[in-house]
Amino acid sequence: MSRPDLRDEINNTEVEPLLPVEKKLIGWSLGLGLALLFVLIAVNHFVPIKL
Amino acid sequence: MSDIAVKVSQPLALRARLNEDWLAVVIGLVVFGSAIVSISGTDLLGWAVTTSVYTDVAQALNPFAKAYGWLGGGGALLATYAALLVVLSAGVVTLGGDVRRFALAFSAVFAIAYASWIVGSYAYVAAVTPAEQQKFGIAWSLKLTNEGGFIVALLSGIVIANFFPRFAEWLKEAIRPELYIKIAIVILGATVAVTAAGRLNLASSLLLRGAAAIVEAYLIYWAVIYYVARKWFGFSREWSVPLASGISICGVAAAIATGGAIRARPAVPILVSSLVVVFAVVEVLILPFLAQTFLWQEPLVAGAWIGLAIKTDGAAVAGGGITESLIMAKAAAEGIKYQPGWILATTTTVKIFIDIFIGIWAFILGYIWTNHIDKGPDKAKPSEIWQRFPKFILGFILVFAVSLWLAVGSTPEIAKALPAAAGEANVFRVIFFVLTFFSIGVLSDFRKLWQQGFGKLAAVYFVSLFGFVIWVGLLISWLFFSGFKPPLAS
Repeated sequence: MSRPDLRDEINNTEVEPLLPVEKKLIGWSLGLGLALLFVLIAVNHFVPIKL
Repeated sequence: MSDIAVKVSQPLALRARLNEDWLAVVIGLVVFGSAIVSISGTDLLGWAVTTSVYTDVAQALNPFAKAYGWLGGGGALLATYAALLVVLSAGVVTLGGDVRRFALAFSAVFAIAYASWIVGSYAYVAAVTPAEQQKFGIAWSLKLTNEGGFIVALLSGIVIANFFPRFAEWLKEAIRPELYIKIAIVILGATVAVTAAGRLNLASSLLLRGAAAIVEAYLIYWAVIYYVARKWFGFSREWSVPLASGISICGVAAAIATGGAIRARPAVPILVSSLVVVFAVVEVLILPFLAQTFLWQEPLVAGAWIGLAIKTDGAAVAGGGITESLIMAKAAAEGIKYQPGWILATTTTVKIFIDIFIGIWAFILGYIWTNHIDKGPDKAKPSEIWQRFPKFILGFILVFAVSLWLAVGSTPEIAKALPAAAGEANVFRVIFFVLTFFSIGVLSDFRKLWQQGFGKLAAVYFVSLFGFVIWVGLLISWLFFSGFKPPLAS
């Protein structure tokens, strides 16, 4: 595949709608990420950096 | 990333990446092992060249060990070049490369990169404190520290890439930034261990906080950037996965690993990789100076931020090195002298934690894609986790563990001799950093990328990086590291 083909593809591709499984992936990632981040912030609070 | 992988087809790319990882481990261990021998009194690497800040270039170069003083600076430089040429050429043979072309190109790469390093050590560029300026009899300086040589090397590479493209093409065989930085990271394990041994509590606290980097990169950055690429810019799934991985995780390696996992066409992650390198260059030129200006009173925040914001291992770890120099210089000018190594150790810890999970993330995406999106006979297998694991990290961990044991678990005599041995290995770490910076510059052909019409890809990168990644990285670095400073130098 040549690079001009890819350029055309990038600029002229039809939009693929988000599938339910993609929405789940995004939602679960963000939800789990934020939840874990809060846990780590709590851990950081109770186990502060020791010098 | 494998720089080779950017140039060749996908099956070859995966094989080359694995080989390159193991090669980095072997070369890194050879350097570390040779340096450690000096503890026994036999100095195998004392001939390696070091560069001091200078006003008279004749005084700039010296062998690392006084015992090799008879070599002189020029002799040490030649010996270092010859040793690297032999070891790396042998490595290129194992990778299946053209060793003659490599040897010629590497000679030019080493010459330009090390000349850049020497330029960066000129007192008008490097001197930091008024005392240093007085010592060299100069009235001003750019205060970049001698690690400003990294910036000079990067700029030299960019000039070659953009104004001398045929020469850049000729150098290609020796333009292997990922190999160079992986070797440097393996060697860095010794310095990090020596630094950590002095403050084990602080070091273990840093490790705990590395977990935050994993959560941020994989679960938060990736999801948001994938959504932005798909929903706002209308990219297909095949483009959005490597793009999100390249911007959010660790650049080229992640783009190629996840692109392969979802069975994207080989050209897609490879083109995304080119973009990642160009943006990493822009970040290395900007972020360390922003960190020096705005975060010099929070050095560990700065170190973590660089690790979270700059993609590609080479640019991030090398950027951490520049940030450390700049912040230590600024602090020194204010009368605060931090122990060296902590800012770079923070950047490296963050980056390595992120790297470790590439294989797992690629497998998760591969599983979802091959079972729910593009269903077919070619299903993702758990063995891909190991296939895609960045093996050079094993080298770093081994060097770190052995060095830490020597520092805290062996005899006081060995512990006392270890910092000098690690310092000897560190000479090569610095040289591999310089080679990395120059190589990244040579890969950064801005004009070519623009001509190829990848403005839309660049737009996603720009919006995600400057609208989200940098600021969230700063917030999380601040949440986890603010208020804690490196120990003061005694």
